[in-house]
Amino acid sequence: MSNKRRLWQIFGPVICAFILLLVVFLIPWERTFSKQTIYEAAASQNTTVFKGSTMKQEAFDDGYVPFYGSSELSRFDPLHPSVIAEKYHRNYRPFLLGGPGSQSLAQFLGMQGTAKQLKNKKAVVIISPQWFTKKGQDPNAFALYYSPLQACNFLLSAKNNKTDRYAAKRLLEMPDVKGEIKNSLQQIAEGKKLTTFQKFYLNNRRRMLSNEDNFFSAFQLRDRVNKIQKKAKVLPSAYSVKALNKVAAEQAAMHTNSNNLGIDNTFYRTRLPKKVLKRLKGSQRNFDYVHSVEYGDFQLMLEQFAKQHTNVLFIIPPINGKWMKYTGLSEKMYQESVAKIEHQLVNQGFENVVDLSKRGNEKYFMEDTIHLGWKGWVAVDQAVKPFMELPNRRYNYYMSNYYYSKKWQNKDDVKSVDLTNKNSLKAK
Amino acid sequence: MNFNFINLQPYSNPQYFIYLMIALIPIILGLYFGHRFKTYEAIFSIVFLFLIFDGSHWQQGVNLLIWLVYEFILTFAYQYYRHHGKNKTWVFSLAVILAIIPLAAVKYLTAFPDNSIGFVIGFLGISYVTFKTVQVIMEMRDGAIKKVDPVTYARFLLFFPTISSGPIDRYRRFKKDYEKVPTRDAYITDLQYAVRYLFQGFLYKFVIGWFFGTYWLPKITASALVVGNANGGLKLSWWVLAYMYCYSMYLFFDFAGYSLFAVSISYFMGIHTPMNFNKPFISKNIKDFWNRWHMTLSFWFRDYIYMRFSFFAMKKKLFKNRIRLSQVSYFLLFLIQGFWHGLTWYYIVYGIFHASAICINDMWLRFKGKHKKQIPSNKFTEWFAIFLTFNVVCFSFLIFSGFLSQLWFGWK
Repeated sequence: MSNKRRLWQIFGPVICAFILLLVVFLIPWERTFSKQTIYEAAASQNTTVFKGSTMKQEAFDDGYVPFYGSSELSRFDPLHPSVIAEKYHRNYRPFLLGGPGSQSLAQFLGMQGTAKQLKNKKAVVIISPQWFTKKGQDPNAFALYYSPLQACNFLLSAKNNKTDRYAAKRLLEMPDVKGEIKNSLQQIAEGKKLTTFQKFYLNNRRRMLSNEDNFFSAFQLRDRVNKIQKKAKVLPSAYSVKALNKVAAEQAAMHTNSNNLGIDNTFYRTRLPKKVLKRLKGSQRNFDYVHSVEYGDFQLMLEQFAKQHTNVLFIIPPINGKWMKYTGLSEKMYQESVAKIEHQLVNQGFENVVDLSKRGNEKYFMEDTIHLGWKGWVAVDQAVKPFMELPNRRYNYYMSNYYYSKKWQNKDDVKSVDLTNKNSLKAK
Repeated sequence: MNFNFINLQPYSNPQYFIYLMIALIPIILGLYFGHRFKTYEAIFSIVFLFLIFDGSHWQQGVNLLIWLVYEFILTFAYQYYRHHGKNKTWVFSLAVILAIIPLAAVKYLTAFPDNSIGFVIGFLGISYVTFKTVQVIMEMRDGAIKKVDPVTYARFLLFFPTISSGPIDRYRRFKKDYEKVPTRDAYITDLQYAVRYLFQGFLYKFVIGWFFGTYWLPKITASALVVGNANGGLKLSWWVLAYMYCYSMYLFFDFAGYSLFAVSISYFMGIHTPMNFNKPFISKNIKDFWNRWHMTLSFWFRDYIYMRFSFFAMKKKLFKNRIRLSQVSYFLLFLIQGFWHGLTWYYIVYGIFHASAICINDMWLRFKGKHKKQIPSNKFTEWFAIFLTFNVVCFSFLIFSGFLSQLWFGWK
């Protein structure tokens, strides 16, 4: 056999394999997930689900409502929104999006693939003032939630407006953004159009990534279905706030008896050993949530909702009062940041704001240090329930680019808004 | 490009193979056209070694360099001694002990819980390079290696495809390959194997190994722990059995895949690094198994521990009975292997288990030899032997995995 022929026999199949792989990656594959898979995904908080598109799209078309938030979403006690929705056969199911370290910028990017599905629909956002640190989105955490697929989606629909330029600029500050996506973001940030090559590249990259999403996002879901069903058994069979609060108090009493800070026993044992606890005492005296780039990133999220005409319920959680005292975090500063968030919301027409921020001293309201739990979840449900009963319709908002400015990000003494007077809100 | 932040652990992800293949192109073309670019090969090796030991792994890199200087001094001091025609046993023993000391120290120190030692000890692959050094010293003692060439020796020890986890090559074999350029025909055959092993490795490590190790094993582990703790007592459940088989499969496919990569890359470079696995799960008995499982390691232990010790004990007439001698040698071999894996009870039990198994197997073979007529031998008994061996081996891997320790004592 000639050498040429032998070489061809050795490397020919390799070359064919690569071509085949490329073809498989670039063919537009369609796929629907089973109801069971979607159900698992909705409660899983898996980052692959967060970063993907197909699962969320299918879920939002099928009665799931996104609950955007962060680490509090994983506090799966029997009063958790996912458990309550299951137990009382609600007309919606929460689709949990976010986890430790997912802040506005990560959320904004994650929202890119589902604009169509959420048009004129509903969403819930648990917006924690802890996100509003000086530098905003933690770059290390961003790496966990950064989705090149959503970056392609963003780039291919980006326009030369303040929002998209601002988003591009912020994304460029994240270390995990690389390669042609980075170059393209640069173009958008500078107000330039993408080149033909960039569009070609991004389109094919998106095709590949969305195939990857289709093929693999159902793998290794964190299976919480059993957990939800088990916890649901603890709940009273007939819905009443009083009965729920009773269960909440019983559960909480049982799970927080190892310490006098009202913190869940496991959390206390594993996350707050003596050494850590000692170090944390008085350590948050100088924390500042009032001056933060996060206000700009938060505006990106709002702009996305406005674009989708989505009806959004915002929930602002408190901090465990005892813990606040222990770490020395300033209540005044906290309330100032809450006022500023509310101002930004209400002034642009986001009126469904539930302010729980002053209830951190209520017993069993928090699951641990800064995360809602038991009675806190009951309070959340008291807002979620009527909100979900409203009919879907198109919501219009009055957006202002002012909220991207440094001036707003550093503004002090924002007056708190009276949320109870809906009429005065309407007048604006 | 900022090299400070690029760190490539060998064969860990698909990108690694892309970089590797691009860097290999000049070597492949060179060998195809009858040249071995030794300088390029050296630069290529240094770059990829650097990428293993840079960035956050830099302390390991420093340790590797210190180790290398130390072993070089030792090897060449011993060579100097041998060249003067002397061959005292105590000098030889001292040289071997000195060669092993760094590895022994690392094994001892890593037995302590993490963070109790303030500095990084050892480096990725210290065991395998130590085995190579010991082998060279032993063969110098025998006179099988007359002269060690420093450059070839460095290349042999640091041969980058095998540095992290073997297979363990032999100096004389490596030198022969390294010094010649294969004929075009032979090299095309090498390429043929290289490509085949590479893709077999992908299938083993990234597909089958992934399913067993990353997909199923965590789920089985969690179930076994939950059900076990609920059962109490010895905390056994069917899940432990599932763990046993799943872990065994993972161990094989992951490690065999890894070894295939190392052999494949060696073949691309015209070096015939020996294979590490030969269908171990169709072994008919434990002895057969060790001739098929992690072969370069077991052959190393056979040649440099089992044989040496047997020979020594025979010469000194330590045992009257040959059977007793082989049994003691087996226990010595497997205990050393157990200690080498780590100073934990389950590695040592694993060693004792295998030594016992191989002794029992020998007893059975002797018994069978004496009663040939009474004991049937047919297709069924052959299959039964394979089945039994497979289960004994999997059980030994259950011990090896440390899962029992996790189940019973809550630590690994």
